Amino acid sequence: MKITFRRTYLVAILGVLMAIFLLIGMTGNSQAGPASPENQPAGDTPIDWDQAQEILSENFHQLLPSKYTAASLPPPEQDPCLHCHITGENKGLWTPLVRWVFFGGAGLIFAFGIYRSSSVWVTRSPWKPILSQTADWFDTRYEISDPLSKFLSKPVPNFARRWWYCLGGITAFLFVVQGLTGIMLAFYYKPTPEQAFSSIQFIETQVNFGSAVRMIHHWSANGMILMCTAHMIRVFIMGAYKKPREFNWISGVLLLMLTLGFGLTGYLLPWDQRAFWATTVATEIGGAIPVIGDLVLVFARVGWDIAAETLTRFYALHILILPLVTIGSMGAHFLMVRRQGIAKPL
Amino acid sequence: MAEIDTSSKDNSVPFYPVHVSNEAKVVLGVSVVAIVIGLIGLFSPVGLGEPADPMNTPAHVKPEWYFLGLYQLLKYISKTAGAVVPILGVMVITFWPFIDRKPDASTRSYRRRAIGVALFMIILIAMTIWGEVS
Repeated sequence: MKITFRRTYLVAILGVLMAIFLLIGMTGNSQAGPASPENQPAGDTPIDWDQAQEILSENFHQLLPSKYTAASLPPPEQDPCLHCHITGENKGLWTPLVRWVFFGGAGLIFAFGIYRSSSVWVTRSPWKPILSQTADWFDTRYEISDPLSKFLSKPVPNFARRWWYCLGGITAFLFVVQGLTGIMLAFYYKPTPEQAFSSIQFIETQVNFGSAVRMIHHWSANGMILMCTAHMIRVFIMGAYKKPREFNWISGVLLLMLTLGFGLTGYLLPWDQRAFWATTVATEIGGAIPVIGDLVLVFARVGWDIAAETLTRFYALHILILPLVTIGSMGAHFLMVRRQGIAKPL
Repeated sequence: MAEIDTSSKDNSVPFYPVHVSNEAKVVLGVSVVAIVIGLIGLFSPVGLGEPADPMNTPAHVKPEWYFLGLYQLLKYISKTAGAVVPILGVMVITFWPFIDRKPDASTRSYRRRAIGVALFMIILIAMTIWGEVS
């Protein structure tokens, strides 16, 4: 037998309950009459102790058995009201009746609700992990699942799993390491001639793990140049630059130049003697170019000498411009690799 | 070599999860090396020299090690040639795919290029070491 729940049933039950409530409430009120100070419960109004004394002395023989005698005024003749019956201050015919009707009705409604919601449990859709639910939520909106699975299921040929194919990947990961450690160093570094040296000293001596972060930044910079070169040599020897991958080679050369640019600009930042004079001679190499040499030199140094402007320019190049250009070039490099696949060796 | 690779299922692995997990191992290895270097750095930091002093040129001024070979070259040939040669070199390297356009016939071309790059690297490393010790 299928029990169909109608809203009218609920309305009917609630109506009956409300009728009982009103009935009791009205009878209570009709017997109560107008509220007077003598009818107020003791707790609600300040006790008039003179009046209490009078009542006590007049009605002492009546009040003696009561438990209220010692504490406060005698309870006034309280009229029955619904909440009194429910909370059980009065004991009479009404109290158990009202309790049974009230709590019993609520219990019936509750039990019926439990019964009804069991069908919700039975016909529920099966549980899904929260991650796949989230994935579904996004997929219904952005339809990313098909292209993503296409991206992830792209076959990688077995020949491309030899170790010398991971040199480029190591370079890319070292770039990520450089980004992270560089951000950490940038929190404390101050690119002015007065403060650069002392801020590096502060990083090395005061900052927690500052010397470790600087060490990693220093050595993975060198590692990045080495890995970049190794990757380039691998590609060159295997002839992977040939048609149709010419532009990938060019973007790779550009990335090597950018890496060397990172090295050049980063080397000046500690602002010690070695950094200063290494940058002096490195920019002199640029200054030796015929025709545009002086222009290159002045552009690199912001003037003829290495000064505060050189430091800020190198800092801006090192942390802002070169990373942006490198990320763009790396994106192009990777997209071309994905699009064209890895060159098959002979 | 020239064709875009269209490998079938039996001689390839899926990018995910096989290749991704392999690459993750490489990343993990590099991270371990980086962390070890960092731990070494805790005890013996990179350090700093004297603060920069434009008025006082130190005895042996050297650029970064990856510019050392170039710097050494610049010392011994004329200034103009020393700046033109690396620029021409970079131009040649950049446009090499358009210079060497013949598809590889055999692995002999691998060997030829390997010998070429080895010679170039030996010269570069020798110049760098020379620059370092001089």
